Amino acid sequence: MRIKDHPILNVPTEKNYVTFYFEDQPVCGTADDTIASALIANGFDVFGFTEHNHPRGFFCAIGKCSACLVEVDGVPNVRACITPIREGMRVKMQRGRGKPKW
Amino acid sequence: MVRHVKALIVGSGPAGLTGAIAIAESVGSGEEVVIIDEGIEPGGQLSKQTHKFFGHEGFYASTRGFEIGNLLVKKVKSLGVEIIQQSTVTGIYEDVITVYDRVNNIVHEYLADYLLIASGATERFLTFKNNTLPGVYGAGAVQTLMNQYRVLPGESFLIVGAGNIGLIVAYQLVQAGAQVKAIVEASSRVGGYAVHANKVKRLGIPILLRHTILEAIGKDKVQGAVVAGVDERFKPIPGTEKEFVVDAICLAVGLQPNVELVAQTGAKLVYIPELGGYVPLRDENMKTTVHNVFVAGDLSGIEEATTAMIEGYIAGYNIAQELTGKSFEDKIEKMKRELEEFRRGPFSKKVRDGLRKMGIVFPEGGYREEQQTDRGPVGKLRAIIECPEAIPCNPCETSCPTGAINVGGNINGIPQIDYSKCIGCGVCVMKCPGLAIFMIQEKEEYSLVGVPYELLPVPTNGTKVKLLNFEGKEIANGEVDHVVLNNKGKTHIVFLRVPKGYEDVVRSFRLPEKAEEFICRCEEITKEDIERVIDMGITDYEELRRVLRIGMGPCGGKTCRSLTLQIISEKTGRPISEIQLGAYRPPTMPTPFEAVVKSALSENDEVSENIQGGIENE
Ligand code: SF4
Ligand code: SF4
Ligand code: FES
Repeated sequence: MRIKDHPILNVPTEKNYVTFYFEDQPVCGTADDTIASALIANGFDVFGFTEHNHPRGFFCAIGKCSACLVEVDGVPNVRACITPIREGMRVKMQRGRGKPKW
Repeated sequence: MVRHVKALIVGSGPAGLTGAIAIAESVGSGEEVVIIDEGIEPGGQLSKQTHKFFGHEGFYASTRGFEIGNLLVKKVKSLGVEIIQQSTVTGIYEDVITVYDRVNNIVHEYLADYLLIASGATERFLTFKNNTLPGVYGAGAVQTLMNQYRVLPGESFLIVGAGNIGLIVAYQLVQAGAQVKAIVEASSRVGGYAVHANKVKRLGIPILLRHTILEAIGKDKVQGAVVAGVDERFKPIPGTEKEFVVDAICLAVGLQPNVELVAQTGAKLVYIPELGGYVPLRDENMKTTVHNVFVAGDLSGIEEATTAMIEGYIAGYNIAQELTGKSFEDKIEKMKRELEEFRRGPFSKKVRDGLRKMGIVFPEGGYREEQQTDRGPVGKLRAIIECPEAIPCNPCETSCPTGAINVGGNINGIPQIDYSKCIGCGVCVMKCPGLAIFMIQEKEEYSLVGVPYELLPVPTNGTKVKLLNFEGKEIANGEVDHVVLNNKGKTHIVFLRVPKGYEDVVRSFRLPEKAEEFICRCEEITKEDIERVIDMGITDYEELRRVLRIGMGPCGGKTCRSLTLQIISEKTGRPISEIQLGAYRPPTMPTPFEAVVKSALSENDEVSENIQGGIENE
């Protein structure tokens, strides 16, 4: 959920929107979003699954805990919480440790 | 290619930034001083702090955390220091320091004459059933999302931990429009500052002491939480479980220093629980056991942002001293005295105890502990300070234009007001970071209470409100007298009209709920309207009717009379049978005037026709 109004912080009304894909669905974020913030803003709380098939989301949001790993444009183990979104980026849920490319 | 710099600083949080300022200022330029930071924007955890900082003006007291971050970053940049973001120092090897640059997906190599490691801390995790379920978040993570990205990861929250972080996040969630169901705290007392706890209590958020979380409920996402009471040994007490319906759980159970990098330099680590676990052994100049490696901030012991800034300066001046061979002892001494002043209070006990284990001794005490009992001259508009603990903070003293407030020398002292000097200007209310100062004035018919207010919407004059006490409990009805807007500092003062005698207990208010309970459908009179008039002393149905127009609409009181009588009965304690039920006046249903006139004239057909025509022509 995006915050529309805040007593302390200004909430920019004019935003530059960026579209990326999560599990092949188009998702709209803003130019300032990370993958994590854009997913949460759009109601996606599950970013992937552990090896034992438990759902995973973010935990620390500052790049420390590795809870938020996703696959970006085919590359696994990208931290959703400290990676800005880009137009057309393809984000997939990571399952387990992510398949290496080699 | 290996890049060689004079000073490499890890982390652009408060300690790293002040360290950079100290080095660059003393050396004369920021050239070859580089900050490497993992985040997207510089500022570290300052960027997500929307509350005003304690401390004193020299360290930006009463300025909001994110604004302090902006000021420091600006200063660092103006000194020519390079800040490299989205880059992580991944290894400190014997021969080189590696930095992974996420933007270009490449590893860079560095060599540095001096290292200042200010890598901060990580939030602690907690064990309970389902603790990895999405919706269980670190408190700091929620702050990052809401305050930096303006996104809320839930609508209703449970917070685990009543230290300063848990309390601050609870308050900030409400500011962002979320609901906080409760804060649970395993120990028997609130760990954070009382002024932070009071802010949260006034919002009506319960703080459940001696409680812990047992389980997160939900399949793919948190849908609730089970909490239970705990005994002295922190074991859950069977039978005390309760469930909260929440969609997010925030863990605010402490921090642990990020020691990986400092360990890789070969610096000695020591285990000191009071400082957060393993920490680098260092001296009072922030130097580790490796001659050119310095540390500052949470990495060197969990504390807070102001002391992190001071430690950053101390480390920075020492590095500058070694780089230039010049002496900056006076600056270093000044900062050490600041640190000593800040750490004298009761909240620094853990840090003092921890540092003593390293052989660094900080004195305690020497601050005023007595609270003022004098509440000032009745009838005069004046400030009332409710700041009961010795915390390192003094903006009340420094902001008062007449010098009426003092904290008694040491910054940890409890503030007192000299009422002969207070002119009732309200500046202190707007400046106090703890929102711990109120205005009061006893008037003839009612009293005024001015409360600091940092929420939306800002009410307008005359708005009817529920008056709340310091625990957020509803105690009376009142209204907004006027609002003193503070568009710069964003802490407004809302002056409430409260019943006489309530000026010492009203400390907050709630705006009327949007969903109102209507009693009289025709005239749109709510239950609250009726109760308010009854509270004014009007308990007679006829009188209520005259004041409110209740029952005077088209239905003639058919729907509302019995409900109104019931409310009068509830409020006054008189049985309905004893309440005057008021006159039943005709007509019992709206009758067109035409019909009345027609009936009156029906015996004289001639005239009747004329009149009828006349009416039709109109
Ligand atoms: S109300 Fe004004 S004069 Fe009185 S103590 Fe506060 S700042 Fe000083
Ligand atoms: S009353 Fe003074 S010391 Fe207490 S929080 Fe407010 S400004 Fe700080
Ligand atoms: S949420 Fe912890 S690394 Fe992203």
